[in-house]
Amino acid sequence: MNIISAISEYAIPAKVGIRKQCNAKDTFYKLPFTASLVILLFFFPNIAFAHNVSIFAWEEGDTVYTQSKFSGGKRVKGGTIIVTDPNNNVLLEGKTDDGGLFSFIRPGSGLLKIKLDAGLGHANYWELPALEADVITDSNIELPETINATENKTLTVITPDIQKEIDIAVEKALDKRLKPIMQTLADNQQQGPDLRDILGGLGYILGLMGMAAYFKYRKQNNIIK
Amino acid sequence: MHISEGILSGPVLISGMAIAAAGTAIGLKKLRNEDIAKTGMLAASFFVASLIHIPIGPAGVHLILSGIVGLLLGWAAFPAILVALTLQATFFQHGGITTLGVNTVIMALPAVVCHYLFAPLIWKNKTISAIGAFGAGSIAIVLNAVIAGLALIYTDEGLFKAAALIMGAHLPVMIIEGIISIFCVAFLKKVQPALLPGFKSINN
Repeated sequence: MNIISAISEYAIPAKVGIRKQCNAKDTFYKLPFTASLVILLFFFPNIAFAHNVSIFAWEEGDTVYTQSKFSGGKRVKGGTIIVTDPNNNVLLEGKTDDGGLFSFIRPGSGLLKIKLDAGLGHANYWELPALEADVITDSNIELPETINATENKTLTVITPDIQKEIDIAVEKALDKRLKPIMQTLADNQQQGPDLRDILGGLGYILGLMGMAAYFKYRKQNNIIK
Repeated sequence: MHISEGILSGPVLISGMAIAAAGTAIGLKKLRNEDIAKTGMLAASFFVASLIHIPIGPAGVHLILSGIVGLLLGWAAFPAILVALTLQATFFQHGGITTLGVNTVIMALPAVVCHYLFAPLIWKNKTISAIGAFGAGSIAIVLNAVIAGLALIYTDEGLFKAAALIMGAHLPVMIIEGIISIFCVAFLKKVQPALLPGFKSINN
Protein backbone atom coordinates (compact mmCIF):
# COMPACT_ATOMS: atom_id res chain seq x y z
CA MET A 1 0.00 0.00 0.00
CA ASN A 2 1.37 3.34 -0.93
CA ILE A 3 0.66 4.94 2.41
CA ILE A 4 2.07 8.35 1.62
CA SER A 5 0.24 8.82 -1.63
CA ALA A 6 -2.90 7.40 -0.09
CA ILE A 7 -2.69 9.96 2.69
CA SER A 8 -1.93 12.81 0.37
CA GLU A 9 -4.65 11.86 -2.06
CA TYR A 10 -7.13 11.57 0.70
CA ALA A 11 -6.04 14.63 2.60
CA ILE A 12 -5.80 16.90 -0.43
CA PRO A 13 -8.89 16.22 -2.49
CA ALA A 14 -8.86 19.74 -3.88
CA LYS A 15 -7.11 18.83 -7.12
CA VAL A 16 -9.55 19.83 -9.81
CA GLY A 17 -9.11 16.76 -11.93
CA ILE A 18 -9.74 14.46 -9.05
CA ARG A 19 -12.68 16.36 -7.70
CA LYS A 20 -14.43 16.10 -11.04
CA GLN A 21 -14.16 12.34 -10.95
CA CYS A 22 -15.34 12.07 -7.37
CA ASN A 23 -18.33 9.82 -7.27
CA ALA A 24 -19.65 6.86 -5.38
CA LYS A 25 -17.05 4.55 -6.89
CA ASP A 26 -14.19 6.70 -5.69
CA THR A 27 -15.56 6.69 -2.19
CA PHE A 28 -15.72 2.93 -2.43
CA TYR A 29 -12.05 2.73 -3.25
CA LYS A 30 -11.06 5.27 -0.64
CA LEU A 31 -12.94 3.56 2.14
CA PRO A 32 -10.68 0.52 2.62
CA PHE A 33 -7.63 2.75 2.44
CA THR A 34 -8.83 5.12 5.09
CA ALA A 35 -10.07 2.28 7.24
CA SER A 36 -6.81 0.34 7.05
CA LEU A 37 -4.74 3.46 7.68
CA VAL A 38 -6.77 4.36 10.73
CA ILE A 39 -6.61 0.82 12.06
CA LEU A 40 -2.90 0.41 11.45
CA LEU A 41 -1.80 3.77 12.74
CA PHE A 42 -4.14 4.35 15.64
CA PHE A 43 -5.49 1.09 16.96
CA PHE A 44 -2.36 -1.03 16.80
CA PRO A 45 0.53 1.24 17.65
CA ASN A 46 1.86 -1.46 19.97
CA ILE A 47 2.17 -4.18 17.39
CA ALA A 48 3.77 -1.82 14.91
CA PHE A 49 7.35 -2.74 15.67
CA ALA A 50 10.22 -3.63 13.43
CA HIS A 51 11.15 -7.23 13.33
CA ASN A 52 14.48 -8.08 14.84
CA VAL A 53 15.64 -10.20 17.74
CA SER A 54 17.29 -9.15 20.94
CA ILE A 55 18.99 -11.04 23.72
CA PHE A 56 19.58 -9.80 27.24
CA ALA A 57 21.69 -11.59 29.82
CA TRP A 58 22.21 -11.05 33.51
CA GLU A 59 23.89 -12.84 36.37
CA GLU A 60 22.58 -14.08 39.67
CA GLY A 61 25.21 -15.72 41.78
CA ASP A 62 27.04 -18.12 39.51
CA THR A 63 24.15 -18.57 37.11
CA VAL A 64 23.71 -16.57 33.92
CA TYR A 65 20.14 -15.97 32.79
CA THR A 66 19.26 -14.95 29.26
CA GLN A 67 16.05 -13.73 27.76
CA SER A 68 15.53 -13.67 23.99
CA LYS A 69 12.70 -12.04 22.14
CA PHE A 70 11.63 -10.59 18.85
CA SER A 71 10.88 -6.92 18.88
CA GLY A 72 7.21 -6.58 19.62
CA GLY A 73 7.76 -8.78 22.64
CA LYS A 74 7.25 -12.22 21.12
CA ARG A 75 9.60 -14.68 22.84
CA VAL A 76 12.08 -16.72 20.84
CA LYS A 77 11.10 -20.36 21.26
CA GLY A 78 13.77 -22.94 20.56
CA GLY A 79 16.37 -20.40 19.49
CA THR A 80 19.98 -21.57 19.63
CA ILE A 81 22.19 -19.95 22.24
CA ILE A 82 25.93 -20.28 21.78
CA VAL A 83 28.23 -19.03 24.53
CA THR A 84 31.79 -18.25 23.50
CA ASP A 85 34.83 -16.61 25.02
CA PRO A 86 36.32 -13.49 23.40
CA ASN A 87 38.32 -15.69 21.00
CA ASN A 88 35.15 -17.31 19.68
CA ASN A 89 35.84 -20.67 21.31
CA VAL A 90 32.49 -22.27 21.98
CA LEU A 91 32.01 -22.88 25.70
CA LEU A 92 28.46 -24.21 25.67
CA GLU A 93 25.29 -24.35 23.63
CA GLY A 94 21.62 -24.57 24.41
CA LYS A 95 18.10 -23.86 23.28
CA THR A 96 15.67 -21.29 24.63
CA ASP A 97 12.47 -22.54 26.23
CA ASP A 98 8.92 -21.43 25.43
CA GLY A 99 9.42 -18.24 27.42
CA GLY A 100 12.56 -17.37 25.47
CA LEU A 101 14.66 -18.11 28.56
CA PHE A 102 17.89 -20.03 28.86
CA SER A 103 20.19 -20.19 31.86
CA PHE A 104 23.54 -21.80 32.51
CA ILE A 105 26.28 -21.97 35.13
CA ARG A 106 28.93 -19.39 34.33
CA PRO A 107 31.86 -21.14 32.63
CA GLY A 108 34.89 -19.33 34.02
CA SER A 109 35.08 -15.71 35.06
CA GLY A 110 36.17 -14.18 31.75
CA LEU A 111 34.18 -12.11 29.28
CA LEU A 112 31.36 -14.10 27.70
CA LYS A 113 29.83 -13.52 24.31
CA ILE A 114 26.31 -14.94 24.28
CA LYS A 115 25.04 -15.37 20.75
CA LEU A 116 21.44 -15.95 19.83
CA ASP A 117 20.49 -17.51 16.51
CA ALA A 118 16.73 -17.40 16.10
CA GLY A 119 16.92 -18.99 12.65
CA LEU A 120 16.28 -17.63 9.17
CA GLY A 121 18.77 -14.83 9.39
CA HIS A 122 17.74 -13.48 12.78
CA ALA A 123 20.65 -13.19 15.17
CA ASN A 124 22.01 -11.00 17.91
CA TYR A 125 24.44 -11.23 20.78
CA TRP A 126 25.06 -9.92 24.30
CA GLU A 127 28.41 -9.43 25.92
CA LEU A 128 28.71 -10.27 29.59
CA PRO A 129 31.72 -8.53 31.12
CA ALA A 130 34.37 -10.49 33.00
CA LEU A 131 33.88 -10.88 36.73
CA GLU A 132 35.97 -8.66 38.96
CA ALA A 133 38.55 -10.62 40.87
CA ASP A 134 37.14 -9.97 44.35
CA VAL A 135 33.55 -10.90 43.59
CA ILE A 136 32.69 -14.24 45.06
CA THR A 137 31.11 -16.56 42.55
CA ASP A 138 30.91 -19.62 44.69
CA SER A 139 27.54 -19.38 46.42
CA ASN A 140 27.62 -23.03 47.38
CA ILE A 141 29.47 -22.24 50.59
CA GLU A 142 27.07 -22.87 53.44
CA LEU A 143 26.49 -20.03 55.83
CA PRO A 144 27.59 -21.33 59.23
CA GLU A 145 25.27 -21.34 62.21
CA THR A 146 25.51 -17.64 62.80
CA ILE A 147 24.79 -17.48 66.51
CA ASN A 148 27.55 -19.85 67.52
CA ALA A 149 29.97 -18.38 65.05
CA THR A 150 29.56 -14.79 66.13
CA GLU A 151 29.58 -15.62 69.86
CA ASN A 152 33.00 -17.15 69.57
CA LYS A 153 34.51 -14.20 67.79
CA THR A 154 35.00 -10.66 68.96
CA LEU A 155 33.12 -8.14 66.91
CA THR A 156 36.02 -5.75 66.61
CA VAL A 157 38.23 -8.16 64.70
CA ILE A 158 36.99 -9.09 61.27
CA THR A 159 38.72 -12.27 60.32
CA PRO A 160 38.85 -13.34 56.66
CA ASP A 161 36.29 -15.96 57.58
CA ILE A 162 33.71 -13.44 58.71
CA GLN A 163 34.50 -11.20 55.79
CA LYS A 164 33.68 -14.08 53.48
CA GLU A 165 30.41 -14.75 55.24
CA ILE A 166 29.43 -11.12 55.01
CA ASP A 167 30.29 -11.05 51.32
CA ILE A 168 28.19 -14.10 50.64
CA ALA A 169 25.25 -12.74 52.61
CA VAL A 170 25.44 -9.42 50.78
CA GLU A 171 25.68 -11.18 47.42
CA LYS A 172 22.61 -13.24 48.19
CA ALA A 173 20.59 -10.29 49.45
CA LEU A 174 21.60 -8.20 46.43
CA ASP A 175 20.69 -10.98 44.01
CA LYS A 176 17.28 -11.23 45.63
CA ARG A 177 16.72 -7.49 45.49
CA LEU A 178 18.04 -7.09 41.98
CA LYS A 179 16.09 -9.94 40.46
CA PRO A 180 12.91 -7.95 39.75
CA ILE A 181 14.97 -5.03 38.48
CA MET A 182 16.93 -7.25 36.11
CA GLN A 183 13.66 -8.79 34.93
CA THR A 184 12.26 -5.33 34.20
CA LEU A 185 15.46 -4.38 32.41
CA ALA A 186 15.22 -7.52 30.30
CA ASP A 187 11.62 -6.76 29.46
CA ASN A 188 12.43 -3.19 28.50
CA GLN A 189 15.33 -4.00 26.24
CA GLN A 190 14.70 -3.02 22.63
CA GLN A 191 11.17 -1.78 22.85
CA GLY A 192 11.21 -1.12 19.15
CA PRO A 193 11.33 2.15 17.28
CA ASP A 194 9.34 5.13 18.45
CA LEU A 195 7.74 7.93 16.48
CA ARG A 196 10.99 9.89 16.48
CA ASP A 197 12.78 7.09 14.61
CA ILE A 198 10.01 6.79 12.06
CA LEU A 199 9.72 10.51 11.38
CA GLY A 200 13.51 10.77 11.30
CA GLY A 201 13.68 8.12 8.60
CA LEU A 202 10.97 9.79 6.56
CA GLY A 203 12.84 13.08 6.89
CA TYR A 204 15.99 11.50 5.48
CA ILE A 205 14.06 10.14 2.51
CA LEU A 206 12.59 13.57 1.87
CA GLY A 207 16.05 15.12 2.01
CA LEU A 208 17.50 12.53 -0.38
CA MET A 209 14.61 13.19 -2.76
CA GLY A 210 15.43 16.87 -2.67
CA MET A 211 19.10 16.17 -3.36
CA ALA A 212 18.30 13.85 -6.24
CA ALA A 213 15.94 16.42 -7.75
CA TYR A 214 18.53 19.18 -7.34
CA PHE A 215 21.28 17.27 -9.12
CA LYS A 216 19.02 15.94 -11.87
CA TYR A 217 17.59 19.35 -12.66
CA ARG A 218 20.98 21.06 -12.46
CA LYS A 219 22.27 18.60 -15.05
CA GLN A 220 19.26 19.29 -17.25
CA ASN A 221 19.71 23.06 -16.94
CA ASN A 222 23.39 22.78 -17.87
CA ILE A 223 22.46 20.89 -21.00
CA ILE A 224 19.94 23.56 -21.95
CA LYS A 225 22.52 26.33 -21.45
CA MET B 1 13.29 -11.18 5.55
CA HIS B 2 16.03 -8.89 6.82
CA ILE B 3 19.16 -10.93 7.47
CA SER B 4 21.01 -9.86 10.61
CA GLU B 5 24.71 -9.22 10.95
CA GLY B 6 27.10 -12.04 11.70
CA ILE B 7 25.30 -14.85 9.91
CA LEU B 8 26.53 -14.68 6.35
CA SER B 9 30.05 -15.38 5.18
CA GLY B 10 32.29 -12.80 3.52
CA PRO B 11 31.86 -13.92 -0.11
CA VAL B 12 28.06 -13.87 0.20
CA LEU B 13 28.15 -10.38 1.72
CA ILE B 14 30.50 -9.07 -0.94
CA SER B 15 28.60 -10.51 -3.89
CA GLY B 16 25.41 -9.10 -2.38
CA MET B 17 27.00 -5.67 -2.21
CA ALA B 18 28.26 -5.94 -5.79
CA ILE B 19 24.85 -6.88 -7.18
CA ALA B 20 23.15 -4.20 -5.09
CA ALA B 21 25.63 -1.59 -6.32
CA ALA B 22 25.08 -2.58 -9.94
CA GLY B 23 21.30 -2.53 -9.53
CA THR B 24 21.40 0.84 -7.81
CA ALA B 25 23.59 2.27 -10.57
CA ILE B 26 21.14 1.06 -13.24
CA GLY B 27 18.23 2.40 -11.19
CA LEU B 28 19.77 5.85 -10.80
CA LYS B 29 20.78 5.96 -14.45
CA LYS B 30 17.25 5.14 -15.57
CA LEU B 31 15.61 7.46 -13.05
CA ARG B 32 13.79 10.23 -14.88
CA ASN B 33 13.38 13.63 -13.27
CA GLU B 34 9.63 13.26 -12.98
CA ASP B 35 10.01 9.91 -11.21
CA ILE B 36 12.10 11.23 -8.32
CA ALA B 37 9.09 12.13 -6.18
CA LYS B 38 7.44 8.79 -6.87
CA THR B 39 10.64 6.95 -5.94
CA GLY B 40 10.87 8.88 -2.69
CA MET B 41 7.26 8.20 -1.80
CA LEU B 42 7.66 4.48 -2.38
CA ALA B 43 10.94 4.41 -0.45
CA ALA B 44 9.06 6.01 2.44
CA SER B 45 6.25 3.46 2.14
CA PHE B 46 8.74 0.60 2.10
CA PHE B 47 10.55 2.09 5.09
CA VAL B 48 7.37 2.30 7.16
CA ALA B 49 5.85 -0.98 5.94
CA SER B 50 8.28 -3.09 7.96
CA LEU B 51 6.71 -1.64 11.10
CA ILE B 52 3.37 -3.16 10.25
CA HIS B 53 3.61 -6.44 12.04
CA ILE B 54 1.45 -9.44 11.24
CA PRO B 55 1.35 -11.55 14.40
CA ILE B 56 0.92 -14.92 12.67
CA GLY B 57 3.39 -17.79 12.83
CA PRO B 58 6.24 -18.61 15.20
CA ALA B 59 8.30 -15.48 14.70
CA GLY B 60 5.70 -13.08 13.37
CA VAL B 61 6.30 -11.31 10.10
CA HIS B 62 5.87 -7.82 8.74
CA LEU B 63 4.78 -6.27 5.48
CA ILE B 64 7.48 -5.92 2.85
CA LEU B 65 5.78 -4.23 -0.11
CA SER B 66 8.58 -5.10 -2.51
CA GLY B 67 6.01 -6.17 -5.12
CA ILE B 68 4.17 -2.90 -5.32
CA VAL B 69 7.41 -0.89 -5.07
CA GLY B 70 8.81 -2.84 -8.01
CA LEU B 71 5.61 -2.66 -10.00
CA LEU B 72 5.55 1.14 -9.82
CA LEU B 73 9.29 1.84 -9.97
CA GLY B 74 11.01 -0.83 -12.07
CA TRP B 75 14.78 -0.49 -11.73
CA ALA B 76 14.38 2.54 -9.48
CA ALA B 77 13.28 0.02 -6.83
CA PHE B 78 16.99 -0.65 -6.19
CA PRO B 79 17.92 2.85 -4.96
CA ALA B 80 14.55 3.23 -3.18
CA ILE B 81 14.92 -0.05 -1.30
CA LEU B 82 18.60 0.54 -0.56
CA VAL B 83 17.81 3.88 1.05
CA ALA B 84 14.88 2.47 3.01
CA LEU B 85 16.93 -0.50 4.23
CA THR B 86 19.80 1.74 5.31
CA LEU B 87 17.38 3.77 7.40
CA GLN B 88 15.71 0.65 8.78
CA ALA B 89 19.11 -0.71 9.79
CA THR B 90 20.17 2.50 11.54
CA PHE B 91 16.87 3.50 13.13
CA PHE B 92 15.25 0.14 13.85
CA GLN B 93 18.32 -2.16 14.12
CA HIS B 94 16.47 -4.09 11.50
CA GLY B 95 18.88 -6.08 9.36
CA GLY B 96 22.36 -4.62 9.49
CA ILE B 97 24.89 -2.41 7.75
CA THR B 98 27.13 -5.24 6.55
CA THR B 99 24.14 -7.19 5.23
CA LEU B 100 22.75 -4.13 3.48
CA GLY B 101 23.86 -5.35 0.06
CA VAL B 102 22.43 -8.83 0.48
CA ASN B 103 19.16 -7.52 1.90
CA THR B 104 18.83 -5.02 -0.94
CA VAL B 105 19.25 -7.82 -3.48
CA ILE B 106 16.77 -10.03 -1.60
CA MET B 107 14.07 -7.40 -1.80
CA ALA B 108 14.87 -5.28 -4.86
CA LEU B 109 15.67 -7.97 -7.41
CA PRO B 110 12.22 -9.63 -7.09
CA ALA B 111 10.72 -6.14 -7.29
CA VAL B 112 12.36 -5.53 -10.66
CA VAL B 113 11.41 -8.99 -11.92
CA CYS B 114 7.79 -8.38 -10.93
CA HIS B 115 7.84 -5.06 -12.74
CA TYR B 116 8.71 -6.73 -16.02
CA LEU B 117 6.36 -9.67 -15.41
CA PHE B 118 3.26 -7.82 -14.31
CA ALA B 119 3.44 -4.17 -15.40
CA PRO B 120 2.17 -5.02 -18.93
CA LEU B 121 -0.99 -6.48 -17.39
CA ILE B 122 -1.95 -3.32 -15.50
CA TRP B 123 -3.68 -1.57 -18.41
CA LYS B 124 -5.59 -4.63 -19.58
CA ASN B 125 -9.19 -5.18 -18.49
CA LYS B 126 -10.23 -5.12 -14.86
CA THR B 127 -9.81 -8.82 -14.10
CA ILE B 128 -6.42 -9.18 -15.73
CA SER B 129 -5.25 -5.98 -14.06
CA ALA B 130 -6.30 -7.31 -10.67
CA ILE B 131 -4.59 -10.64 -11.34
CA GLY B 132 -1.44 -8.80 -12.40
CA ALA B 133 -1.47 -6.65 -9.27
CA PHE B 134 -2.04 -9.65 -7.00
CA GLY B 135 0.72 -11.53 -8.80
CA ALA B 136 3.18 -8.67 -8.36
CA GLY B 137 2.45 -8.45 -4.63
CA SER B 138 2.63 -12.17 -3.92
CA ILE B 139 5.21 -13.44 -6.42
CA ALA B 140 7.66 -10.82 -5.16
CA ILE B 141 7.45 -12.45 -1.71
CA VAL B 142 8.06 -15.91 -3.19
CA LEU B 143 11.15 -14.63 -5.01
CA ASN B 144 12.26 -12.84 -1.83
CA ALA B 145 12.17 -16.17 -0.02
CA VAL B 146 14.10 -17.92 -2.80
CA ILE B 147 16.88 -15.32 -2.84
CA ALA B 148 17.01 -15.23 0.97
CA GLY B 149 17.32 -19.03 0.84
CA LEU B 150 20.20 -18.66 -1.61
CA ALA B 151 21.93 -16.22 0.73
CA LEU B 152 21.45 -18.59 3.66
CA ILE B 153 22.72 -21.59 1.68
CA TYR B 154 25.88 -21.95 3.77
CA THR B 155 24.15 -21.71 7.14
CA ASP B 156 22.70 -24.61 9.14
CA GLU B 157 19.38 -24.52 7.37
CA GLY B 158 20.61 -24.80 3.79
CA LEU B 159 18.90 -23.53 0.65
CA PHE B 160 15.72 -25.56 0.46
CA LYS B 161 14.90 -25.68 4.13
CA ALA B 162 15.57 -21.97 4.59
CA ALA B 163 13.56 -21.00 1.52
CA ALA B 164 10.71 -23.31 2.51
CA LEU B 165 10.66 -22.01 6.09
CA ILE B 166 10.71 -18.40 4.96
CA MET B 167 7.99 -19.01 2.41
CA GLY B 168 5.86 -20.81 4.98
CA ALA B 169 6.25 -17.97 7.45
CA HIS B 170 5.41 -15.42 4.77
CA LEU B 171 2.32 -17.13 3.40
CA PRO B 172 -0.01 -14.65 5.12
CA VAL B 173 2.15 -11.77 3.91
CA MET B 174 1.93 -13.10 0.34
CA ILE B 175 -1.85 -13.03 0.41
CA ILE B 176 -2.10 -9.71 2.23
CA GLU B 177 0.37 -7.98 -0.08
CA GLY B 178 -1.38 -9.39 -3.13
CA ILE B 179 -4.65 -7.88 -1.92
CA ILE B 180 -2.97 -4.59 -1.00
CA SER B 181 -1.53 -4.45 -4.52
CA ILE B 182 -4.95 -4.96 -6.08
CA PHE B 183 -6.41 -2.08 -4.07
CA CYS B 184 -3.38 0.09 -4.66
CA VAL B 185 -3.47 -0.36 -8.44
CA ALA B 186 -7.25 0.12 -8.61
CA PHE B 187 -6.96 3.21 -6.43
CA LEU B 188 -4.14 4.75 -8.45
CA LYS B 189 -5.97 4.03 -11.71
CA LYS B 190 -8.86 6.10 -10.40
CA VAL B 191 -7.06 9.04 -8.88
CA GLN B 192 -3.48 9.20 -10.16
CA PRO B 193 -2.96 6.93 -13.17
CA ALA B 194 0.27 8.72 -14.11
CA LEU B 195 1.98 6.93 -11.19
CA LEU B 196 1.40 3.55 -12.80
CA PRO B 197 3.91 2.13 -15.27
CA GLY B 198 3.07 2.39 -18.96
CA PHE B 199 0.63 5.24 -18.51
CA LYS B 200 -0.12 7.08 -21.75
CA SER B 201 -1.71 10.43 -21.20
CA ILE B 202 -4.26 11.65 -23.71
CA ASN B 203 -2.26 14.80 -24.44
CA ASN B 204 0.73 12.93 -25.83
